[in-house]
Amino acid sequence: MKIVVIVRQTPDTEAKIAANSSGNGIDETGLKWILNPFDEFAVEEAVKIKESTGAEVVILGIGPDRALETIRTALAMGGDSAIHIKDENFGATDSYATAKLIASKIKAMGDVDLILAGKKWIDEESGQVAIQVAAELDIPQATIATKVDVDDAAKTVKVQSEIEGGQRIIELNFPALVTAERGLNEPRYASLPGIMKAKKKPLEEVTVDAINLEELGLAQENLGADGSRYKIDNIDIPVINRSLNVLKGGNSDMVESAEVQAAAENLTKLLREEAKII
Amino acid sequence: MSEIWVLVDTTADGKVRNVTYEVLTAAVKLKEKNSATVAAVFVGESAGAIEGDLGKYGADKVYKVEDPALNDFNPSAYASALSEAIKKHNPDIILGGNTLQNQDFLPRVSALTSGGLVLDAVDVDISSSSTLSIKRYRYSGKSISGITFHDVKPMIATIRPNTFKAVESSGAGEVIQETAQVPSQENIKVLETKLVPKDRPELTEADKIVSGGRGVASTENFELIFNIADSIGAGAGASRAAVDSGYVPYEMQVGQTGKVVAPNLYIAVGISGSVQHYAGMGSSKVIVAINKDPDAPIFQKCDYGICGDLFEVLPALTEEFKKLS
Ligand SMILES: Cc1cc2nc3c(=O)[nH]c(=O)nc-3n(C[C@H](O)[C@H](O)[C@H](O)COP(=O)(O)OP(=O)(O)OC[C@H]3O[C@@H](n4cnc5c(N)ncnc54)[C@H](O)[C@@H]3O)c2cc1C
Ligand SMILES: Nc1ncnc2c1ncn2[C@@H]1O[C@H](COP(=O)(O)O)[C@@H](O)[C@H]1O
Repeated sequence: MKIVVIVRQTPDTEAKIAANSSGNGIDETGLKWILNPFDEFAVEEAVKIKESTGAEVVILGIGPDRALETIRTALAMGGDSAIHIKDENFGATDSYATAKLIASKIKAMGDVDLILAGKKWIDEESGQVAIQVAAELDIPQATIATKVDVDDAAKTVKVQSEIEGGQRIIELNFPALVTAERGLNEPRYASLPGIMKAKKKPLEEVTVDAINLEELGLAQENLGADGSRYKIDNIDIPVINRSLNVLKGGNSDMVESAEVQAAAENLTKLLREEAKII
Repeated sequence: MSEIWVLVDTTADGKVRNVTYEVLTAAVKLKEKNSATVAAVFVGESAGAIEGDLGKYGADKVYKVEDPALNDFNPSAYASALSEAIKKHNPDIILGGNTLQNQDFLPRVSALTSGGLVLDAVDVDISSSSTLSIKRYRYSGKSISGITFHDVKPMIATIRPNTFKAVESSGAGEVIQETAQVPSQENIKVLETKLVPKDRPELTEADKIVSGGRGVASTENFELIFNIADSIGAGAGASRAAVDSGYVPYEMQVGQTGKVVAPNLYIAVGISGSVQHYAGMGSSKVIVAINKDPDAPIFQKCDYGICGDLFEVLPALTEEFKKLS
């Protein structure tokens, strides 16, 4: 069977975020980029399926040049080959156009059984691209998977996920798309030999210009910020502005045993009378 | 006249979820600026007599898109059914709660209708040119963006639960019956649905939440968290460290890689207050921290707190909370 994992690069979670000079995007100088944590679960799952069924794992990423580093990380975890759709405008292109570009490449591969992706990017948190790839390919989807069971012979995949108020298991026929939730697995680290090997694995680089947009029902105008269905007008960096009323002890910062009762009464009173919340 | 649609979310036993009323309240506000009609839209097997309740929160109309094939939620089937209804009635704006179900099928609706979609809004407004504008967090709560739709219809958005307070208003709740168009679904089968009876409110909709972190130190000790949560009818959550240590299941995790919550009251117990945890609860109205380390970052991000040992503070505080009711 053939599996495609779509992966994306995202700023490190500790990164400090600042608005760029035009105020409608973030300032990327000095940012450290990592493989989106949810995509890591997707790569790990694909590699596990490969280990048990001998499946072929193709890593697919879209983004500027720097995205290659992330694609290599996924290869080092065990992907067999990779496709990098190079889009320097990337990020400003809206989710549906991005999904169409990704789907066109998957369609061209022809024989894909399973597509794995993360549940969302932790930066944009758009939560749309993967599902729209499924819509564009007209294939079934199961999102936020916490357990994935592939039956290669029957060409089906059983997926367990959380629903409001419980859980459910659904079965999809191949080709199918599954998005990964945390808890699906424990992603392995890319080993040093893995990283060395990754550099030699087959990599296809495609520029957006080489993609026949017309066939996708897209025009050049649909890409980039101008073509987006929604525009970012401004970005604010919220300052944390809270009252910081922390009750401390008489002799030290910590409330001592003898003072606990009074502190509990005091906090309850504040929540009731000042915050009016309980 | 243009229509603003509000998607109706129901519980497994058919009751309208509170988030639907919150979103109706938001829609009524928009309607005043846009002289539109507010319509609640149910997609599913059978709605039952929900129009009375929906009318009470401002629904002028109630579309019922019903079909036996919509018995189990299935994103492709629901997306087809809703998309057909959209093509027929052409609403300008579609709003829904940011629930798991809406997150699952609305991206497909956006693809099928060429509509624009933005998930997890914390504010919505209408500009002079009748376009929808939205505020939403990005970069794990580290930035908040103003976004406007651009030359696109329908404009679809989900709203984070607990963002708007549901306010009653009057609507006729006139029922309009629709037949759903559901293509056969051979490629997807729901094998099993397990509803886990919950003793506490669900995190994403809870009005109050108490969460425990690594400081709680064991599964047994989490009883302390559950006890204080129950004393005020709160939901119970956890930090990633508590989940990773195996004290509680992943469903309880709050944060960047867990649930995003916005209760009126969030009490963080034995949680240091990492960026990633704050990303999931930073839009709570009042944050309370209990931690023994005076330098814990959470004390720079809270409204109230006690610097003390949680094993001493929680039992005392639970008793005080119990006295309130
Ligand atoms: C990509 C990524 C995603 C992440 N996603 C999430 C996420 O979704 N949610 C999340 O929570 N974290 C997330 N994290 C992890 C996050 O960085 C922190 O490691 C985690 O939040 C720490 O949990 P904690 O506060 O419970 O533990 P700690 O940081 O270890 O803090 C424990 C606190 O308990 C206090 N304490 C100990 N004993 C007592 C006592 N007896 N009484 C009172 N206080 C006591 C200590 O003073 C300390 O402040 C993520 C990390 C990464 C890299
Ligand atoms: N540009 C992209 N390149 C590769 N994969 C992507 C891209 N955008 C989204 N994805 C995949 O889709 C998932 C959901 O992304 P999103 O819908 O943007 O939150 C991500 O976790 C990735 O697996």
